[in-house]
Amino acid sequence: MNLPWKRETVGRELNPQWTVLSGEGAGQKLRQPELRKGTWPVPIWHQVPSVTAEPHPDYYRLPLLKEPVWIWSVPAYFYLGGVAGGSAVLAAVLHGLKSTEDLAAACKMLAFLGTTVGPGLLTWDLGRKFRFINMLRVFRPTSPMSIGSWSLAATGLLASLSLLQGEKPSGQITGWGLAAGGLVLAGYTGVLLGNTANPLWHETRRGLPVLFVASSLASTAAVLEMLPLNNMEAGVVRQLGLMGKAAELAAIAAVEGEAARKPLVAQPLQKGRSSALWRGAKALIVAGMAVSLIPGRWRGKHLLGGGLTTVGSIMLRYALLEAGKESAREPQAVFAVQK
Amino acid sequence: MAATGFFTDTSVCIGCKACEVACKQWNQLPADGNFFSGRSYDNTLHLESTTWRHVAFVEQNRNLSGQTTAQPFSWLFLSDVCKHCRRAGCLEACPTGAIVRTEFESVYVQPDVCNGCGYCVVACPFGVINRRNDDGRAWKCTLCYDRQRQGMEPACAKTCPTDSIFFGPVDELRNRAEARLAELHRQGRQEAWLYGMTAEEQPGTEGLHAFFLLLHAPEAYNLPPSPVVPTKTIGTSWLAMGLAAAGMVAVTVAAVRHGGERT
Repeated sequence: MNLPWKRETVGRELNPQWTVLSGEGAGQKLRQPELRKGTWPVPIWHQVPSVTAEPHPDYYRLPLLKEPVWIWSVPAYFYLGGVAGGSAVLAAVLHGLKSTEDLAAACKMLAFLGTTVGPGLLTWDLGRKFRFINMLRVFRPTSPMSIGSWSLAATGLLASLSLLQGEKPSGQITGWGLAAGGLVLAGYTGVLLGNTANPLWHETRRGLPVLFVASSLASTAAVLEMLPLNNMEAGVVRQLGLMGKAAELAAIAAVEGEAARKPLVAQPLQKGRSSALWRGAKALIVAGMAVSLIPGRWRGKHLLGGGLTTVGSIMLRYALLEAGKESAREPQAVFAVQK
Repeated sequence: MAATGFFTDTSVCIGCKACEVACKQWNQLPADGNFFSGRSYDNTLHLESTTWRHVAFVEQNRNLSGQTTAQPFSWLFLSDVCKHCRRAGCLEACPTGAIVRTEFESVYVQPDVCNGCGYCVVACPFGVINRRNDDGRAWKCTLCYDRQRQGMEPACAKTCPTDSIFFGPVDELRNRAEARLAELHRQGRQEAWLYGMTAEEQPGTEGLHAFFLLLHAPEAYNLPPSPVVPTKTIGTSWLAMGLAAAGMVAVTVAAVRHGGERT
């Protein structure tokens, strides 16, 4: 007979099995419920009509798309990867030329540094940093990020190898491999941004890769310009820099032109914080170009010209990320693109 | 196995948010904090990494056909969810292979693989998937993969009191949707239409596995009118990069030759 006072439990205890969290989302480790950010995601509610606006409805002006979640280290990598790419190509072209040996060595060092520090910056942005190696888990040709990860890994290996080989004749093959990887590194980031649903990035998907490649040339030349160089090397870097900066400015104009076909899409480049960065970057690159055009060779000029272009090119990448975030907040821009 | 999905019929949705609750409860998703938005009865506002169903409340100053009110007014509800697109932007962008297509043809993020690169977040044309800051990984609706494997329907569809959310094989859902649309049109509710049901209607995603019957323009529900999976249009981008890279080689060679000669 099962008398209450003879039971081992009183029957009110919870089965511990019931409290085990095993649902699909239970794996989310939370420190605290996510707080709404300090800034409101949208204009505060009393500024928003409580009914659907006609004839261009949207949902209380709320963003349709999610903002990019990338942090500062991603544009920093865009810059470093660009410099690594440009240096890799220059190193391959300079291979075997006696008078520019030092420049070639500097290029290889830049390619090595860019492909070594770059992955670190990208890993820093990951939500799960120790899983960075999952980037090389599969090869997915539909994903520019997958193509980029593999290129970055391969270019990093080749850059280390070419640094060890130095100016040995066998280094020529490594050099061309490195240059091929460098070309991908210089441009894939533009494709990566273009391959998104973000109105600004997607609408400028033809111009962005060109901008990234051109900016890679300009920023490589800008870094090299600031190094002590012999006459021959200075001549090469000057040519590269002038053409690179001209190409960068032309590509900026092309991107602006692409965006301007839809006024709402171009807005982040014309208004607000992202436009300040964008304009600042343009001004710095123009100033860098102007300094480079001053005749004569003196150290201060090279430092100033190279420095201005470097800061401008870095700022350009931050401007693109900020503008992308701005663009994702505007639902009407999404609708405008799709009409 | 046959593709399964949702047909969400907004004409019978009563905005009770039982789907939101059932989803949170079954999937053990954390709370989003208390927040008053002031936007109709919608304090959830959008789909998030921890909110896989979201009921939108659309207030408008006009009547639906057949409706009579003192002031022109109507209230529309829509339970939004991941669309499990046939061509999924997130899946095609995922560099780790964390996002896969399951045996039910749904799009599933494997939490043990995802490293939180954030690329799926910008690749989704519906703004569904997001990375949770403190967890670090990307999350979205799984179409209750765990329940489906046990032969059960997803929690939201199970709980929906009006069968506004209907779960089943996509082919059957289409027949059901077409029958429902014909019925509504017969009743004179001409504003009813099907959003994203077939590849012809939405070529950008080649059709959705979770599609909707709407009573207004998609913009009013914060749905993109004609979403395109980014990968579909990326060929020109690679081409532009190829041309630019060729130009880069030419410029570098020219600089080395020309710059070297002059000095």
